[in-house]
Amino acid sequence: MNDPEQYVGLPLYYNWRNLLARRLSTALTFTVVAVLVAVLAVLLSFAAGIRASLTASGSALNVMVLQTGATAESTSIVNPDEVGRLIQTPGIASDAIGQPLLSQELCVQTSIPRRGQAGALANVAVRGVDPAAFSVHDEVRIIEGRLPAAAALEIIVGKAAADRFQRLDIGDTVELGRAGNRFYKVVGIFAAGGGALESEIWAPRTILSDSYDRRFVSSVVMRIQGAGFAEEAISYVRGSAVRLNARLESDYYIELTSKTRQIVTLTTILIAIMAVGAVFAVANTMYAAVDGRRREIAMLRTIGFARRSIVVSFMIESLSVCVVACLFGLALSLLINGSRRDFLSDTTWTVLAYDLRITPGIVLAALGLATSVGVVGGLAPALRASRTRIIEALRKS
Amino acid sequence: MKLQFVYLYRNLARNPRRTLLTCAAVALPITVFVLSMAVVDGFNQFLDNSTRQLRLAVTHKTSIVNPLPEGHRRKIEALDPTGRRLLAVCGLRYIGGQREDDPTPLSTLAVDADTFAACFPEQRLTAEELELWNRDRQAIIIGRGTAGDMGWKVGDRVTIMPSVPPYQPLEFHVVSTAEKAEDFVTNWCRRDYLEEVLKEAGALEGMVTFFFVKCAGKADLDHYRAEIDRQFTGSLDETKCQDEKTFMNEFITQQFDLPTNLSILAGMTVFVAIMAAANTMSMNFRDRANEVATLKSLGFGGGFAFGLIQSESLLLCAIGGAVGALAPYVAFTFTPLRDFTIPLIQTLIIMPGTCLKAMLIAMAIGVLAAVWPSWQAFRMKVVVALRQFE
Repeated sequence: MNDPEQYVGLPLYYNWRNLLARRLSTALTFTVVAVLVAVLAVLLSFAAGIRASLTASGSALNVMVLQTGATAESTSIVNPDEVGRLIQTPGIASDAIGQPLLSQELCVQTSIPRRGQAGALANVAVRGVDPAAFSVHDEVRIIEGRLPAAAALEIIVGKAAADRFQRLDIGDTVELGRAGNRFYKVVGIFAAGGGALESEIWAPRTILSDSYDRRFVSSVVMRIQGAGFAEEAISYVRGSAVRLNARLESDYYIELTSKTRQIVTLTTILIAIMAVGAVFAVANTMYAAVDGRRREIAMLRTIGFARRSIVVSFMIESLSVCVVACLFGLALSLLINGSRRDFLSDTTWTVLAYDLRITPGIVLAALGLATSVGVVGGLAPALRASRTRIIEALRKS
Repeated sequence: MKLQFVYLYRNLARNPRRTLLTCAAVALPITVFVLSMAVVDGFNQFLDNSTRQLRLAVTHKTSIVNPLPEGHRRKIEALDPTGRRLLAVCGLRYIGGQREDDPTPLSTLAVDADTFAACFPEQRLTAEELELWNRDRQAIIIGRGTAGDMGWKVGDRVTIMPSVPPYQPLEFHVVSTAEKAEDFVTNWCRRDYLEEVLKEAGALEGMVTFFFVKCAGKADLDHYRAEIDRQFTGSLDETKCQDEKTFMNEFITQQFDLPTNLSILAGMTVFVAIMAAANTMSMNFRDRANEVATLKSLGFGGGFAFGLIQSESLLLCAIGGAVGALAPYVAFTFTPLRDFTIPLIQTLIIMPGTCLKAMLIAMAIGVLAAVWPSWQAFRMKVVVALRQFE
């Protein structure tokens, strides 16, 4: 320790003892940061859940066709003659017997009460499909029960819909149809890789068309032979031969994630304000720690610890409280991880059920926030500590 | 009492940095609280306005998205041939839409031209605007916010690409930018024009997305809510009739239930502020334990010590609360932030009542934060404290 500015770290035990010496203050600062992190994680988990659900939906090997001008399946009408022209689409894949893999789908909605919320109705999508749909949407698989029998008033229900809404268990009956007087029996539950389709009810298309008196379909989804055929297929559908709107199915769902941007923006604004408040709380605690240990700091300087050692020591204290609080806040937020919510899309006008997700990205964001709070809140007091006048501080003792 | 005030002032001035940091640590959560509650108040006010309009929303029983035949209007009107209790029935059809060269979504509704003004008096159309609206089938009323965003003004010819059939450009003539309307986002056009285009395109015509029914009084609202549904029971298109508040509330709760979630967030921010203030007060008490002991040994009672710490905490939090509540009030009332829009509630208005509530909460935070330190001061044993005197 001959060089007064040589860096020698103070033992971590010293920091630990100091934190314990001010138990109440440490605990209160800890709570502020933990709550801040938990709020951040929970708010971001909404956006992450929706994004995960929508990005898991749709395949980059499927081309989705809607009516030109329609922004969603719920407002799209594709007439039978237009469907006929789609069969000629270049690059369209075929099934084992040479039939083009083309799924005509009719989307309608029905109001179903939510589980656990008396009287709260949700606008659930009901999709009329043909057997080809199961080849085109190959992520869809029955996990319980069976497929609807041909020409029967039977439906299968997405896993998320069955969890979130009432009377959608196997054996239950759902009233569908234009007059709500067709009683469809639930015969199966399906999974769709965690995507948006899991929030839907599927029924045989012809039966559903009849129930709703519809002579058209809402969309057509075509499986293409490979990613390289996508551009040609989309150009063909948009061109003069068909004149419909086509895009990759995966792109359609990604466009629906725009709602999550609003959540992230709102979260950022609110958390930024709260984070500044937390910085002040941490700074307050650390200033108090510095003021209370002035003589101690002078003593450390006298026995040869460099200014840098003092700064680092106080920063370690500040950061430890914030990082441990962050981990606690994250652990709290994990309590809601995986819990199911739903929201009404203002594009499709149907509800999308999704699971709240604490993703690695959220963990990193929380750690980043807590570290920033610790650094910003602890730096000024640490610098102040390092500038303690040794003689003056010792004289006071 | 004078001594107490002097002592209070000196204590706050003694460590200005701590005073400032504590005020800021309380002020910022209070700001978040005020903003959250302003949004919640905005939703409540929006719903209260809907209640005041004495309107019923009639949708298809099976789902709001399934359309109703326009013929339902005559049947609803027939429920009150005098027209004294059912003042107006207006069919609305959703168009949505966007400009041909701009993907920004628009909120456009096609409405029955003859009953629109009576059913939606809050649009506050002038006599001149109303005359233009009645005369021109291609008339459109553009929400003033939308007009500003799109650069549209009265007299312009504008083209909107609907998101629904007929999926072809619709040309309109702007007759008003709804300068005095509460809703400054929605565009209103005439349904007879839309029907004509739908007919030409061979698309499904004669359907509406929902009806709005203007009633004369609260009793009429309650009466016809049941009566309208009864009228269509057993028909192919049964209805679901709700007052406008319930109808709108269904949308709000389905879209993240913002009022509930923001109320929870507001509660969390208050908790954070309590923790921050309690931290300061516990530090203050610890730093001044000797002083409190000395005061007590001089004959000041436990109540004096208790009151001293409580009043210091109260004052700190009241200052923080005032700053935290007034900052968003000033920002959203007197700066360009007043144009900030939120779906449905549109402008974010910070009500003085919300600020007052926040300041009272800040003062309550002050009281709560000092409960433990002031109790400690009250119960402090002088001899024990002085023994620790350094």
